[in-house]
Amino acid sequence: MKASMKDVVRDFLRERGLGGERVASVIPGEASFAYVFGTVLMFLFLVEAASGVAMAAFYAPSSTDAWGSVAYLQDQALLGWFLRGLHVHGASAIVVIAGIHLVQTALYGAYKKPRELVWWLGILLMVLTLAWAVTGYVLRWDQAGFWANKVEVGIAAATPLLGGVIKKLALGGNDYGNLTLTRFYMLHVMILPALVGGVIAGHVMLARKLGPTPLGDGEQVSRPRWPEQTLRNTIAIAMVFTILLAYVISTHGADLAAPADPSQAYDARPLWYFRWLFELRELSGSAEKLVALITPAIVGGALVALPLVDRLPARDPRRRLPYVGGLAGLLALICGLTIASLVSDTHSEELAKRVAKADVRAALARKLARENGVPATGAGDVFMTAPMAKARALFDSRCKSCHDAQSKDRKGPIIAPGHGNRDWLKAFIKNPSGDEFWGRTKLSKTDASMKPFQQMQPTDLENLVELIYSESGESDVVEDKRKRGVDVFEHACSDCHAREDGMPGSSAPGLGGVGSRGYYLSFISNPKSALHMGHDKDRSQMPRFDKELTLVERDALAEYLVWLRTATPADLAVLDPYQ
Amino acid sequence: MADEDRRKFLKVATCAIGGGVGLVVAAPVLTLLADPATKITVTTPTAPLDLGLVEQFRVGAEPRKVDVIAPIVKDAWLAARNVVLGAAWIQRPASDKVVALSAVCPHLGCAVGWDASAGNFLCPCHDSRFSPAGDKLTGPSERGLDELPLQVVDGRLQLMWIRYKPGQSVREPA
Repeated sequence: MKASMKDVVRDFLRERGLGGERVASVIPGEASFAYVFGTVLMFLFLVEAASGVAMAAFYAPSSTDAWGSVAYLQDQALLGWFLRGLHVHGASAIVVIAGIHLVQTALYGAYKKPRELVWWLGILLMVLTLAWAVTGYVLRWDQAGFWANKVEVGIAAATPLLGGVIKKLALGGNDYGNLTLTRFYMLHVMILPALVGGVIAGHVMLARKLGPTPLGDGEQVSRPRWPEQTLRNTIAIAMVFTILLAYVISTHGADLAAPADPSQAYDARPLWYFRWLFELRELSGSAEKLVALITPAIVGGALVALPLVDRLPARDPRRRLPYVGGLAGLLALICGLTIASLVSDTHSEELAKRVAKADVRAALARKLARENGVPATGAGDVFMTAPMAKARALFDSRCKSCHDAQSKDRKGPIIAPGHGNRDWLKAFIKNPSGDEFWGRTKLSKTDASMKPFQQMQPTDLENLVELIYSESGESDVVEDKRKRGVDVFEHACSDCHAREDGMPGSSAPGLGGVGSRGYYLSFISNPKSALHMGHDKDRSQMPRFDKELTLVERDALAEYLVWLRTATPADLAVLDPYQ
Repeated sequence: MADEDRRKFLKVATCAIGGGVGLVVAAPVLTLLADPATKITVTTPTAPLDLGLVEQFRVGAEPRKVDVIAPIVKDAWLAARNVVLGAAWIQRPASDKVVALSAVCPHLGCAVGWDASAGNFLCPCHDSRFSPAGDKLTGPSERGLDELPLQVVDGRLQLMWIRYKPGQSVREPA
């Protein structure tokens, strides 16, 4: 039954032009591991295709979303990191194996007649593969891919005459943006796969037709490829794949830097297989762009010319020393420059510091993206999803120089975690002109400043603090203490201060709502108003911010000050990864 | 014969190694592609949404459409703010009673409108009609309009947004 079913299927297919007598593919001489590289490359391209298709189900080629979608793939989608790692490192493996394939072909003179076309298609494949890698690197839209691409396009733009046009065509317009990504995406997932697929088909078809170049000279018996050679190919595939797998797992896939940010400097480095060009460019001073443009053309041209120049039938490397020597020299140069570039990076301490900083930024961005999502305004704004991020940035640029403990030019009270809590209030009342409070202001040196209350009874002080603390609107006020604090206030403070909302004191700031968000907003907006420092207008150096900052910005700062009251230095450190 | 055995072994070995490698590539690909199907990739608010003061709705007036806006929706990697989820038809039959009907047609999910001339709800896609109370009148819909949980807190309307499965007579959250 089983056999007849098989026959039925076979006959069905044969009658419709499928199957039937196949001419067994043969190789000359013995099966050999020397012939495996083409097949291994084929396998690696299939891995790229499979992982690429899977990733395409997650990727969004838009300047606001690209980074977020890659971060989601890398950090949240199940096994996303693994496939992304396979894809990125698989491309590296292709470059390595293709390099071996090329060197081997050149070494054994396998490009010679009649296989020149196979050789040229191979060179074309190498070029297309490198272009494929370049178009892929920018898609992640992180600092690394973005800046590397900027350099690459910058070099291409140095092409005489056509440079400007090339740049505009590459970017899809005058600058980096959505159309840059959609364009590189189109090249990466449509044009280049189709081109590479077509060229591979031609390369393999011709190579199969002509058969591999026999390893030795003289007549050799042909043997079927299957299974002796196929097994060797498969073993080679398994070995390469195991190494790739180990690398992908040990590196947890590919890296992902912080979102692309044109304002944030980054030490752009090309993909490692362009490092030799990078180093060469570094070494060539003012001619850098020209060198970076011409060198690949020279190398490519030399490889293309090889079968045209080396035309004698001899294939033994020992009888083709000039060519083999030239090739070895080129290879040594490329390897040497690559190593020099990698080594010189390890020598710079400054670079190491910047890289460490960039790594911290990348880790923070990815953590925030995981926890809070990427804002619709763009991946760069993911930093703003951290709690108080906007206020922190404002504080750093507008308030820090006068209010930070570390600031050399501090002119006002220190604003730090715990600002305005009970301990802070107690310390302030005891010594308002202490260095951390009014000490550095003009006010501290005058009679107008508040007198220290060192002698106040501890319970009175505690009750008074509770009363003033209650003005902030916090929910943990101890009502008994607060009530008793009212008497203390009437006795000790009310001559100068007022406690009613919106009321200035007779000769000092009104304390209604002190420590609340509304109070801080009002104070930041105009510290010199009658309600706040109006009595000492000339001695209060703090400028008003109601013109300089928007209402939303001032409110963000006010919210931050409220948050600071209960924050610890550790809370603050989380917000500022650089400290 | 020994050569035959050897060839057979080589064939089996080739297929085994090749199949193993293929599996290690294919399995993660399928896992990754299936992963979103196992997750809540687009969040819906779990807390009631504020629709504003209850006093903006007059007692006994015609139903009024109010957009239901989620303060934040997480969509895969994106955190979008103020996302319109849909709309609800709000009526206030008595001063202490407010009713919200989902504007999502229970037939196939089109947006139901108010036909002022007929005084009932009309779905423009397949002409299902519903009474002001949401009961099914005519057309292909298998059930009436879906009422959404509504409560008044401090004079403000708080609506719970729920999507129900369309195309069936039983009301079941989607």
